[in-house]
Amino acid sequence: MRSKFAALVLVAGASFVCGCGRTDPEFSYREGLSPRMQEYVRTSVEQKFGTPHKIRVWDKLPIQPHAAVATVADGSKDSNLVIQVSESHRDIRKGQEVAWVAGTVPPRGSAPVFLEAFDKESNTLALVSAPALAPQVGDKIVIGPGETLTHGRLLYAEHCQHCHGVAGDGKGPTAPYLNVRPRDYRKGLFKFTSTKEGLKAHRSDLAKVIEDGIPGTYMPSFKLLKTAESHAIIEYVLFLAMRGETEFQTYNLLGSDYSEESIATRVKEGETTDKIVSEFATRVKDGEIDEEVAIRTDKMIADWITAQEPEAVIVPKEKRYLSDADSIKRGRDLYLSANLNCVACHGESGLGDGAQTYSVTKNTETGKDNTEPGLYDAWGNKLKPRNLRLGMYRGGRRPIDLYARIEAGIKGTPMPAFGAKLTEQQKWDIVNYVLELPHEQRIPGAGIAPPSPATPTTPVASTTH
Amino acid sequence: MFWPIVAFVLCWVAPDMGWWFPFTGPTGMKAASPLGERIDDLFYMILYITTATFIGTQVALGYVLFKGAAATDEGNTEKAWYSHGSHNLEVIWTIVPACVLLFIALYQMDVWAEYRVKDSFPSETRRGAIAEVTARQFEWRIRYPGLGPDGKPLPLMPKPQPTDLYTVNDLHATVGMPVMIILQTQDVQHSFFLPELRIKQDAVPGLDIPVWFEASKSGEYTLLCAELCGWGHYKMKARMVAEPEEQYIEFLQKLTESQNYDGVPGTPAAEAPVATAATE
Repeated sequence: MRSKFAALVLVAGASFVCGCGRTDPEFSYREGLSPRMQEYVRTSVEQKFGTPHKIRVWDKLPIQPHAAVATVADGSKDSNLVIQVSESHRDIRKGQEVAWVAGTVPPRGSAPVFLEAFDKESNTLALVSAPALAPQVGDKIVIGPGETLTHGRLLYAEHCQHCHGVAGDGKGPTAPYLNVRPRDYRKGLFKFTSTKEGLKAHRSDLAKVIEDGIPGTYMPSFKLLKTAESHAIIEYVLFLAMRGETEFQTYNLLGSDYSEESIATRVKEGETTDKIVSEFATRVKDGEIDEEVAIRTDKMIADWITAQEPEAVIVPKEKRYLSDADSIKRGRDLYLSANLNCVACHGESGLGDGAQTYSVTKNTETGKDNTEPGLYDAWGNKLKPRNLRLGMYRGGRRPIDLYARIEAGIKGTPMPAFGAKLTEQQKWDIVNYVLELPHEQRIPGAGIAPPSPATPTTPVASTTH
Repeated sequence: MFWPIVAFVLCWVAPDMGWWFPFTGPTGMKAASPLGERIDDLFYMILYITTATFIGTQVALGYVLFKGAAATDEGNTEKAWYSHGSHNLEVIWTIVPACVLLFIALYQMDVWAEYRVKDSFPSETRRGAIAEVTARQFEWRIRYPGLGPDGKPLPLMPKPQPTDLYTVNDLHATVGMPVMIILQTQDVQHSFFLPELRIKQDAVPGLDIPVWFEASKSGEYTLLCAELCGWGHYKMKARMVAEPEEQYIEFLQKLTESQNYDGVPGTPAAEAPVATAATE
């Protein structure tokens, strides 16, 4: 009896310690390519981005993966380096690694150099040991290499992964239960941005979503995160988005010739599988495919860099027009006009019930009719146009947020950019109208005026029990 | 002997170490509100009663065992006394605990009433609620009334107004005076929990529940959800900032500015609170 009990305790204890079927996290890959080509995508993406536990920082990527980046200003004093910090994202502190990326880069395999102390006043790094090669003025060094990304990955795993998935594919374990799907970053597309039409998201857009959440969806606010923490998450999300897009682009490149479907067709047309595979092998060997991939990733990288420039952010040319009855009326006329055709989706009364919601629409990628009527986003999810009467603004309720939606549209959705069609005044008129819509029943068209004390509405306190 | 000693030591040090109450707020281990202090007093009073009862019964038990063991000595002819069915004893141990419980029930009544019964709320709360707090999976959305032309907050209306101000996970209140919020939920049950102030109130779908509290010291307090509301329950953490009235008004002014920001540089409130995150 006693031994049985002991055995039971042992088994329970062992399963508690080991867990049940624990596996290492892995980045997911799109499927549908023939195995040989799938393998190529996997190795080529992994080469650039690594795996969740062994992230590779591809130095071409416009992210901020390190604690700090600096150049050597004086390296003559043995293990005391005077530096000029060019980018600082986290605290520089004892124990961080210092790595050379340009200049006198020590040979591969030499012992890593660690930081003993950092003096902010004199910008001096005290190193535990002197580097293998004597540092020269102008050497580019990174402090805490990849530290932001590693921290970001941990925070991402804690806060984001269960919805957005390990690879940011929006397929985490809780995702099937959400009816506004978590964002799949792998298209490099984010919906609510402050950047101009067709541009990718600015860092601050991601920061805003993390800080404020998205009302009306399951994205909650993470306001209590520290600055360094939300920065780490943003960099990791950008890393995932770039990794995902690289994979997506490579997949698209090979998809037309080498998906299982097209190979089947080609075989039917008389080619042999062996020949297709060897043709692919030659193209890889000649570097033709790598080159094609590089062109696409270069464009992606350039796009991300462009979106971070100050010029990418939408700045209205004129200040907001006063939200008076005239402006709201003009806004309403524009809203109803055939030129803008807001009503096609949002409906005449702004309830999000326009004719498009029950019309057969075209798939933006394939150009074919969608099987079910209604609107779809770039991720293939069915989409409801916003009900403008709820007073719930997913991308923020500031006038500039609504202005940006009208100016540049909502990326990845059928909401188009109206920037080129409208004058500044017209844009603000629409903003004023949309902001007034949830309150319209109050005094229709009366505009946003602070309610006077005489407003005959009772305060909450005396109406509740 | 090991476990009894551990149990004794743990019981002894637990209150000193503040393991029973959170102590991260500006007031340390002490409750951060006058009502909270009274709730703590009730807690300790009940703790003293139960401690006395516990020790008393254990001592009595030990005494009986000791006596009983002596009675089994060889040659002892004393007969056992069967207490089962003793009317007097039954009456005594019914009436004594009943009196204790009745005392506790009566003694706590005014604290309870002040905490929960709207008519007994402090008179300051009659001025109206300062904000509407809406819980949802998994965050706290807060609606403040805007500032009127006189620079004072307008009354909070039951329905959203164009002048209303919004924050998420960031509740501000004036320090040193009772303030009231209206608690709602958008989806399932949540619970509005200010541990340092000893305030806990369930949010029930379909109800507008008034909750009042008074922070006795300026600073940042924790606001949690205390009702398991779904898989993201652990994320539902916010802050409650208690501050003097001028700062509170300043906070509302800043909120007004940032909420009306039109993106044109030079307009006040160009400081979007979030844009800093990536640059620092």
